[in-house]
Amino acid sequence: MLFFVARRLLYLIPVLVAVSLLTFLIASLLPGDLAYVILGDQATPEKVEALRHDMGLDQPVLWRYVSWLGHILQGDFGRSFRTGQTVLQAVTERLPVSLELMLLAEIMGLAIGVPLAIVCAARSGGAFDRFMTGSAFAMLSVPTFLSAILLIYLFAVELRWLPATGYVPFTEDPTGNLRFFVLPALTLALAEWPGIMRVLRSDMIATLQEDYIALAKAKGLTASRILFVHALKPSSLTLITITGINIGRLIGGAVIVETVFALPGIGRLLVGAIGTRDLIILQGVVLLVAVGFVVMNFIVDLLYAVLDPRIRHGHA
Amino acid sequence: MKAAIGSNALARIFLVAGFGVALSAAPVSAQKQGGSITVGLELDIPGFDPLKVGVYDTSAETAAAAIFDTLVTLDDKGQPVPKLAQSWTHSDDYKTWTFKLRQGVKFHDGTPFNAEAAKANFDRQKDPANKCRCAFYIAGIHDVQAPDESTLVYNLTDPAVNFPALLTIQSSNNVIHSPTAWKTKGDDYNRNPVGTGPYILKSWTAGDRMVLEKNPDYWNKGHPYLDRIVLKPLPDAQSRFASLQSGEADIVWDDEYDADNIQKAQKDSKMTVHTYAGSGAQVYAFNTKTPPFDDVRVRQALVMAIDRKKMSQAITNGLARPASNPYGDGSWVKCKDDGALPYDIEKAKALIKDYGKPVEFKMIVTATPRGRTIGQVLQQFWKQAGANMEIEQIDQATVVPRAFMRQFQLTPWRIVDLADPDPQMYANFHTGSPVALANYSNPELDQLLEHARTTGEIDKRAENYCAVSRLVNEQAIWFWTFQNTYYAISTSKLKGLPKIYHGVIDVSDTWLE
Repeated sequence: MLFFVARRLLYLIPVLVAVSLLTFLIASLLPGDLAYVILGDQATPEKVEALRHDMGLDQPVLWRYVSWLGHILQGDFGRSFRTGQTVLQAVTERLPVSLELMLLAEIMGLAIGVPLAIVCAARSGGAFDRFMTGSAFAMLSVPTFLSAILLIYLFAVELRWLPATGYVPFTEDPTGNLRFFVLPALTLALAEWPGIMRVLRSDMIATLQEDYIALAKAKGLTASRILFVHALKPSSLTLITITGINIGRLIGGAVIVETVFALPGIGRLLVGAIGTRDLIILQGVVLLVAVGFVVMNFIVDLLYAVLDPRIRHGHA
Repeated sequence: MKAAIGSNALARIFLVAGFGVALSAAPVSAQKQGGSITVGLELDIPGFDPLKVGVYDTSAETAAAAIFDTLVTLDDKGQPVPKLAQSWTHSDDYKTWTFKLRQGVKFHDGTPFNAEAAKANFDRQKDPANKCRCAFYIAGIHDVQAPDESTLVYNLTDPAVNFPALLTIQSSNNVIHSPTAWKTKGDDYNRNPVGTGPYILKSWTAGDRMVLEKNPDYWNKGHPYLDRIVLKPLPDAQSRFASLQSGEADIVWDDEYDADNIQKAQKDSKMTVHTYAGSGAQVYAFNTKTPPFDDVRVRQALVMAIDRKKMSQAITNGLARPASNPYGDGSWVKCKDDGALPYDIEKAKALIKDYGKPVEFKMIVTATPRGRTIGQVLQQFWKQAGANMEIEQIDQATVVPRAFMRQFQLTPWRIVDLADPDPQMYANFHTGSPVALANYSNPELDQLLEHARTTGEIDKRAENYCAVSRLVNEQAIWFWTFQNTYYAISTSKLKGLPKIYHGVIDVSDTWLE
């Protein structure tokens, strides 16, 4: 197991280098020189030249990348030129919001998707199964920004059950915090459950064909025991992979959801940084998010190995 | 509204005369004390330290209007009236302005506000070592002196006959910070601002809410009315409006591109739409040094081909108000004849035909949905007149340097809502100014602009500016599409919101009914 972890960690290094290089290049290739952005109305050619020199923008891109990476390895992600805040400060302030959002969205997505998948798999081909598979397709094609606005109009404006926008920290007011998170998390979950359901459903159907299930049935075990205990675990391998990859989609969705629901998370930070051309924040946040994604998927790989012994022994 | 302003002014007179606060004697409809409101703004506020953030956007200015005070403020008619300064005088050449400051005013940290503190604010922004982006806007002020506790002297490089009016916007240049606070807090000052204003910053969660509490020691006794103001960035227009409908926000920022919601609110008795028809306009400059715009016929033809009414309908459901001069309804410059070229597509076609050569050019638009829409609409108009325009989308941040370096044929620009036309008109049209984007020079125009900034007689100045408008319209070196209009929507219970000067929603003296 230890060897397996070490090997996976080693694979991580080229991935992270590629991620950081891409992040840096994308930010440097954006139109609008940083010097112009900082100087704004005063961007005379002389001042731009001087500032470019001060900031090292006149150096070759690769050299700038190496020095940026050097700073990052020492824990220095840079500072916003607009607020003077360091990237790490800005991210740590907002990370809890995004993590809570994604966690709740994933829980809701699983809570909707997993039971539906099990019921559909148990009676595959039946009317309910066909209806749910169709609904899942329909839900997959509804964009997040649309479902967000629809949920706001229904639950906040018409019914007035839940707030439309806003946030309160969990430590200050736990129930208030959860009330603020219901609609945003549900918006994301609405895009999550179809994928979860469809993957788990097909895996379950395959598992239910296995001989040991027939044996379990023959032994007279109840249907629910067979489904939840004997069939669920072996069927959840793909689901776990999907969950890892979903984190990427959740981050993308969070950018929209945080803007619509005015949640002060990483997504909003990112949108704000793009709007104000705060490239230092932008680069830093994108890198941290990308690294987070890579690390989460690394953990998913490990989980995979825990669930399936064949993988950790390298026979897969 | 009128009555409220009346009693407000009355309260001021009482104060000046030394009668103290007479609010208990006010009529029933008067301002109510207490309560709390939530304001939905468009953008996250990055902070308040001018050295850090450079310039405030309108969201930051809304907060600044509550936390800080300016020396001067604008009354309902757009006239400068006292705030931290009680009176002012000027030299004959309008280059030296002396302000008498209010005494006994204290910053929220207990330190006194005086001439020395005001001067320190200016010096800090002006100091080249501080490299403040805000310095650009005070380039016309040579220095500020504080001969005694309550006297502040501004020495200007150029005459400014209406200088006090220019100190009224709650911008990073104009609001007065506590020098002690920025010195002791250092890097943390940006998010812990200290002013003399009616509200004190209580707490601020990044990207979320900023809570302001009433300043119990505010110098203007009886003000403010509300106990608490919560400012929240609500970046999405739809959910911002939904927050107002559901009661989570009491007033929200809006603009004419969100026309659907504004029109919905106008029909709703539970909501009030606050709108201010400001001065200035959305404008465009031709580079008259590059063909085909070196020929006045082409410029005139393009301007005459624009149907502003139809354009307003297309982009803002008809809310945007056509502009025929750069001053706008909010300006004190009113022209009987501004020389605007009429919409006349036949004349435009004829002019282009007369020019003889094909008219092909590129127009810069900002790479935003709005920029693109405007570009496409203009493209259609000009096609009808026989001109081919190619849209060049560029990043907002690049528009400014491109304009400064004159790397354009036709560029968008903006004349913002200011209490006096001089700073922008002089910069935009006087020969040799870096923002005289049209590259156009005309001694008559220069003379009019110079005269308008050195005469104190308002009628003569207005005449000058109307002559400028006639000249610019006739030569078609710039054109204007729509006037600046600012919007806020509130619950109908919120009263006392002043005009949205410069797009700033100043809730600092409002109350709930």
